Amino acid sequence: MTDKPFNIDLGRLKTREKDRSAQAVEKTDRAGEELGFVAREPQKKRGRKPSPRTGQVHAKVMPGISEEIANEARRRGVQQGVIIEEAWKLYKNKSGI
Amino acid sequence: MPTVVIASPKGGAGKSTTAVLLGTELAHAGANVVMLDCDPNQSLTLWADRGPLPDRISVLSSVSESDIVKTIKRHDTDGQIVIVDLEGVASRLVSRAISQADLVITPMRATTLDATIGVRALQLISEEEEALDRKIPHAVVFTMTKAIKSKQHTGIAGSLAEQGVDLINPPLMERASFSALFEFGGDLHTMPAQGNMEGAIENAAQFAQAVYQRLAGEMG
Repeated sequence: MTDKPFNIDLGRLKTREKDRSAQAVEKTDRAGEELGFVAREPQKKRGRKPSPRTGQVHAKVMPGISEEIANEARRRGVQQGVIIEEAWKLYKNKSGI
Repeated sequence: MPTVVIASPKGGAGKSTTAVLLGTELAHAGANVVMLDCDPNQSLTLWADRGPLPDRISVLSSVSESDIVKTIKRHDTDGQIVIVDLEGVASRLVSRAISQADLVITPMRATTLDATIGVRALQLISEEEEALDRKIPHAVVFTMTKAIKSKQHTGIAGSLAEQGVDLINPPLMERASFSALFEFGGDLHTMPAQGNMEGAIENAAQFAQAVYQRLAGEMG
């Protein structure tokens, strides 16, 4: 037995033309599905991702602060936005904006 | 350059071992080989991490259903043989990879269970040929065979041959060195001796040569 039992002639190795269009992939998927070869990879979660800061989907502030603002607004009988507007006014005065 | 897809929905049929033996022997014979690891168990990646990769081989890990077609496209035209190792389940990833193959090899242990499940890959190829209006060459290789063929082996081989299935000769025998590839990495030529190395190397080389002959159009 020699160290290299056979040689490869790279010139003889050809790739065949393959259809890689979306339609061809769809046909392939359909043919596979009929025999039970179905999508098995976990699908990506749809919708908006939680905020990396608050961990919530729609939160603008941390959960504890959100609750405090809601309680104060309820006590005064105003919308939460009023509290935020007042806070913004205080911030502007403090910062000289 | 051609794309060889190793496919069987049966786990434990020897897909990754077949992929590594084929890739390393083709590289040893002078071909550039890129191996795509599409198995979530990452057997090829485990092999690649075990030791230095042999010359002319590269391994790409974690190729998924959504990027298999474009990954094969990127690699099958630039002077290298692409070998795709698939997961042992019936999945969309398998059907998409087969659609891009120049040769599909279905490894199969010579048991009724392996043959029954492995035949589903052959059915899928046939369906895809019809859907895509393209011939997809395919062959079966028996794996983990013994020196003396069992009646089951002879029966299954006869049945497949009757149905016109291309059987790769020689089969891949059960060899300590084949399974040790995943312990030492590298190839049969560099690994510490495990059992009958000369016989193992000859078996792997003859198998790779039989595959090469199919890729080069030397078969029928």
